[in-house]
Amino acid sequence: MDATTRFFEDLDRRGYDPALAKASGKLRFDLQQGAQTTHWLLEIDRGNLRVTQDDREADTVIGTSPETFEEIAAGRGNGMAALLRGDMTVTGDPRLVAQVERIFPGPAESTGPRRLFRREVR
Amino acid sequence: MASSNTIRILDGNTFVVSQDTGDIEATPSEPTGLFSIDTRFLSEWILTVNGERLNALSYDDLQYYEARFFLVPGMATHYIDAKLSIIRERAVGGSFREQVTILNHDEKPVDLEIRMEAGSDFADLFEVKDEIVNKKGETYAEPEEDRLRLGYRRGNFVRETIISSSEPARYDRNGFAYSVHLEANEQWETSIDVHTVALGPGGRDLRMGLQAHGTERLALEHDLQEWIARAPKVNSEHEDLAATYRRSLVDLAALRFSPLSLRGQALPAAGLPWFMTMFGRDSILTCLQVLPFAPELSKTTLRILAALQGTRFDDFRDEDPGRILHEMRYGETAAFEEQPHSPYYGSVDATPLFVVLLDEYERWSGDVALVRELEPECRRALRWIDDYADLVGNGYIWYERRNADTGLENQCWKDSWDSISYSDGTLPPFPRATCEVQGYAYDAKLRAARMAREFWGDPAYADQLEREAAQLKERFNRDWWVADGEFYALGLDPDGRQCDVLSSNMGHLLWSGIVDHDRAERVAEHLVSDRLFTGWGVRTLAAGEVRYNPIGYHNGTIWPFDNSFIAWGLRRYGFAEEAGTIASGILDAARYFDGRLPEAFGGYPREQTKFPVEYPTACSPQAWSTGAPLLLIRTMLGLEPHEGHLAVDPVLPVGMGRIEVLDIPGRWGRVDAFARGRLELHHTRSAPTAA
Repeated sequence: MDATTRFFEDLDRRGYDPALAKASGKLRFDLQQGAQTTHWLLEIDRGNLRVTQDDREADTVIGTSPETFEEIAAGRGNGMAALLRGDMTVTGDPRLVAQVERIFPGPAESTGPRRLFRREVR
Repeated sequence: MASSNTIRILDGNTFVVSQDTGDIEATPSEPTGLFSIDTRFLSEWILTVNGERLNALSYDDLQYYEARFFLVPGMATHYIDAKLSIIRERAVGGSFREQVTILNHDEKPVDLEIRMEAGSDFADLFEVKDEIVNKKGETYAEPEEDRLRLGYRRGNFVRETIISSSEPARYDRNGFAYSVHLEANEQWETSIDVHTVALGPGGRDLRMGLQAHGTERLALEHDLQEWIARAPKVNSEHEDLAATYRRSLVDLAALRFSPLSLRGQALPAAGLPWFMTMFGRDSILTCLQVLPFAPELSKTTLRILAALQGTRFDDFRDEDPGRILHEMRYGETAAFEEQPHSPYYGSVDATPLFVVLLDEYERWSGDVALVRELEPECRRALRWIDDYADLVGNGYIWYERRNADTGLENQCWKDSWDSISYSDGTLPPFPRATCEVQGYAYDAKLRAARMAREFWGDPAYADQLEREAAQLKERFNRDWWVADGEFYALGLDPDGRQCDVLSSNMGHLLWSGIVDHDRAERVAEHLVSDRLFTGWGVRTLAAGEVRYNPIGYHNGTIWPFDNSFIAWGLRRYGFAEEAGTIASGILDAARYFDGRLPEAFGGYPREQTKFPVEYPTACSPQAWSTGAPLLLIRTMLGLEPHEGHLAVDPVLPVGMGRIEVLDIPGRWGRVDAFARGRLELHHTRSAPTAA
């Protein structure tokens, strides 16, 4: 299974994300490749999530290529940078994008703070 | 004292820096241009008449967003005979508009060839700052019938400058020209519009609908009037103080910035020209400074920073869950991840300061709804302090960048590479901890405890936070006190060794309340001693330290913002005279900058230079320097919210005369504060002797 599908299926299964507790709205991802477009519709109601592949109206529509989205869903790419680069476009309410961007994974090799707990100070 | 003769106009993160003729001729050492979203959209903009460059008679920066230049052809030596004058009037606000008017003062008709050279290198602000413009994409210039399109393309990243004119012009790849016939005493004018475009593949601009306010000249003017009308009035016998206050208020308006993705809300950007973007630390500290005067900035700043709070580990961006961002950028280097600012999280003070600001804001505004709204973000910020910032495992906030190429080495406000040292001048290893950040953490825990008890209905959490704060205070006073010098160390290394230099950072400790009462007097004495206090302000690093240099960025210069928090801290511990001494010094210095304090100025003794020497590449206006006079006014007047009303306890130096601050907004509605200077300043400024 690709990271894109895994990402959306995981959201749908979890059904709730506290990071989106203040967000409500419909966000549609249009992944365009040539003449073919794959849709993912994310409905958020105060953190409650529902994912479908419907091509229905949304408050915000994100357009990008399947490759770019796959990178972001896998944590190899960054949504905000893709947006600035023009590899991803937004129509509609940009606030939803800023909120949803926060729930994408970080890079797999990012290990976080390097603690020196072995050292006992005083 | 301003060393450069560049003219700057700005609106949010669009700004124009030019020569005093209005011309733009960017070179690596001369960072002039039209800038927007961290990109230079014009690097060349040169007006000539009959092939001749123009000479400035005078200029006027009317408002922060507009300027006017009076010019004549030729060089200074013979312009006395000029029969022509040229007026350039320009404004920014969304786009950049320039009106050129040419007046023929001769009794004979003239034929003129008027030309504007126009070009752009589309440099990223980071490339300009580092003086390396090395573009990976391609630039193009496309003259059309009615416009000139300058562009830059790298993959889907497209930035364009579109220039058009109200009078028909001939456009070519390097600019545009007019042939004009003027009768005796006739005049001609044209209006030039320069539109900046940041396109995505769908052809939509990235910044759609992102302006904080209208961008037409009239809308800008109206917005500024409203902004000033909403703020308290400051009247003073000391005329300069009222002028400095007014200057600060206007500059704050200019620095308001509406980030992408959160349309319509504004927060203070950090400063012109390098930092017209959101910075966690700078925006929060500025909001704290201006709370009595412009409380609405705090609300938007808190909301925006909360929305972008870290959620994951990202080593390139130094992001952790709960961490508050350091810096956001929109240019090419951020887009292509050559710089980590999308956003970058490498600061350790923004996170505790976020909690501090929320509590302080509520104490002024009574906005309980926001305290409830941001409870989850506050809890996450506090968890970051305990879980992710304590790299050594001994209860302090430490830092060590994970992005070794482009991350920041020093993640405190003194963020230059050599700002943290031992007294022998050597630099400590990583991770490092600096003292003022521990103070912020202490304050954050106590303030969060109040919010937990009063608004979050969680007294157990409040008790826990208070316990942790008390333990932190005890630990801190044990580990950071430099016994033989009787001051707090600037930093600690991972082995617990102190960076035992005398620095301004101690002043922030007073503000946070982490200083033991029996040590406060010693700290206050140091702050106004000859080694730290120059007569204008407190140096970042004391004279006599190995790395001290009166023009060392964080090793000897005076930062007005730093001083404003030091004065606030002194007042908190009852050292009103010392606070007044610092406030007087900084406000005196402001006179030499026409009320606009720069980011930093030289740490030379006042009697040696007589005027404050501006730091060579200091940013101006800069938000937290702009906020400094406002916090100093608050401090001198002793304005403090107290049980739902505003307490006023003025201690003013004699030279200040009478000050009144009218219509201070807050949970009390609007109240006035009055004060008269009665305090004789007579501190001796001799170095305290070690006991």
